[in-house]
Amino acid sequence: MASTTEPLVTAKPVLIDRSSNTSVRQRRLVGKTFTYLVLTLAGLMFSFPLFWTVSSSLQTWQELRSYTPHILPESPQWGNYAQVFEAAPFARWLANSFLIVFITIPGTIITATMTAYAFARFNFVGKNVWFILMLGTMMIPATVTLIPQYLLWFKLKMINTYVPLTIGAWLGGSAFMVFMLRQFILSLPRDLDEAATIDGANPFQILWRILAPLMKPALTTVAILQFLSEWNDFFGPFIYLNREELYTAAVGMRYFQFVPLETTDPRDHLLMAAAAVMSLPVLFLFAVAQRYFISGVVMSGLKL
Amino acid sequence: MATAAQAIPAKPAKTQRSARQRRENFYGYLFLTPWLIGFFGLFIGPGLASLYLSFTNYNIIGESKFIGLDNYVHMFTEDDLFWASLGRTFYFACASVPLSVLGSMFLAILLDSKLRGVAVYRTLFFMPSLVPLVASVILWKWLLDADFGIVNQGLREIGVDDPPGWFVDRRMAIPSLIIMRLWTSIGGTQMIIFLAGLQGIPTELYDASAIDGANTWQRIRSVTIPLLSPTIFFNTVLGIIGALQTFAAAFLLTPEGGGPAFATWFYALHIWKNAFDYFEIGYAAALAWFFALIIIGLTIFQQWLSRRWVFYYGE
Repeated sequence: MASTTEPLVTAKPVLIDRSSNTSVRQRRLVGKTFTYLVLTLAGLMFSFPLFWTVSSSLQTWQELRSYTPHILPESPQWGNYAQVFEAAPFARWLANSFLIVFITIPGTIITATMTAYAFARFNFVGKNVWFILMLGTMMIPATVTLIPQYLLWFKLKMINTYVPLTIGAWLGGSAFMVFMLRQFILSLPRDLDEAATIDGANPFQILWRILAPLMKPALTTVAILQFLSEWNDFFGPFIYLNREELYTAAVGMRYFQFVPLETTDPRDHLLMAAAAVMSLPVLFLFAVAQRYFISGVVMSGLKL
Repeated sequence: MATAAQAIPAKPAKTQRSARQRRENFYGYLFLTPWLIGFFGLFIGPGLASLYLSFTNYNIIGESKFIGLDNYVHMFTEDDLFWASLGRTFYFACASVPLSVLGSMFLAILLDSKLRGVAVYRTLFFMPSLVPLVASVILWKWLLDADFGIVNQGLREIGVDDPPGWFVDRRMAIPSLIIMRLWTSIGGTQMIIFLAGLQGIPTELYDASAIDGANTWQRIRSVTIPLLSPTIFFNTVLGIIGALQTFAAAFLLTPEGGGPAFATWFYALHIWKNAFDYFEIGYAAALAWFFALIIIGLTIFQQWLSRRWVFYYGE
């Protein structure tokens, strides 16, 4: 809006009353200052807890418990981080989390794409019914299916394996991701498929050789969302894994919160260090792939 | 069907059509196969199993007996925690969702005002939503620690002698969870979806309102908000579904979950406790199915309500 009116004002300054011109400018300046002020205030409020995590993780517990809080550590205690890794098998837990993430990402990419392709490109009997059923699964609380699923895996002796945690990703992934990929495939011109069909390509070849390369942004988004959901998942690993060495970082983190340590000293500084370690991979991923985070969310939100 | 079509050579078009349809069916279902296996094996099967379990007294150790509606009767008439946990869950959802959606919308409108450095602010707002929940529970417990938390130390500094106990205070535990949820949700996906919605508003409408002499607030009220109503609706529905099911934070707060003294004993936690701590599988299944009905009912109700206030531009 501002950009369309401003050139008019500067192009014919003679016709414009000077006093109203400055008042408009003043008003705009006030508005701008106000916006920046609110944004900065909100930015501080949102980022302070993260800053405080890092700062606390570098202090001694005596420092944290003094009655005059130190915003910055007197001398950074990098040893706190080493202590976390010594006190609990965090390295192992992080590796387990990574393992699960990397088992599930290809699964979601392959099977969610197949499902989305079926919904986007083929007019099979019952398509609409299946599609509505798929969207309906998003409404049903996880607890409804969790109990029998647990009993099933228990009977199949799959407790303390990663099968229950990863198989879903290999069977179509989440409805949300299928929906997103379907929207993306719908936006690709059908001429591509038809030209390839004339050249003798079958639907598998069309999907992997022609559509998949064009779907890179959407597939990257799916990979990121999958990473996030597995990395942050707590209840899945919590019920299916009860051997300490199999824990994921999320479950290990809770364990570390309440497990007895050698000393009875407060462990807030260590907990903060652990929280920082656990958040780091996600924040790093965000820094690298920020573009896809935003576009993925936008794509998924736009047309539902 | 195919042979019948082939028997009538006078209608080649039909043969072609049915051959094409067969091909569509074949490939459609072929590509759908992994999802169909998952849908029946991990969703429909377990869903029906839990529906059946909800009519039994199955509890792993004892023998499973069909007891009709007893679980449901028990739920409504004898289980004190049932109504209390349902009430707490709605209190949490009704307080957190509107604040969170309004907060996201407010920040998105500010970010939409093409100022320099907006990307930095967007990143700052978005980061909390990435922090894993376990980590953010631990972080907020520390921030809001009654004695040594930075918040209470700050409050004492400005003269509040008796700051709240937050997570350890029965009355303040849910408000503390709400604060935490606002921190993680306001700047996250919700805000980004609002930003996308704002970009979809045609600039002519803003120009028109400028010509009519509308000030900022009038423009927001009569152009931005009505045109954002589908986005508001979308975020509210998803927010409510999410907030009603939230219990991970409540579970992680105390070693046994739901504390202090049942103050954060949410409905979903009640299901969880019955299933995995007390092994009352049949009863937990009944609780879970009732919960599913509440959520489906609420979603349909909101859909119905939306016809009264959601405005779709250009329809």
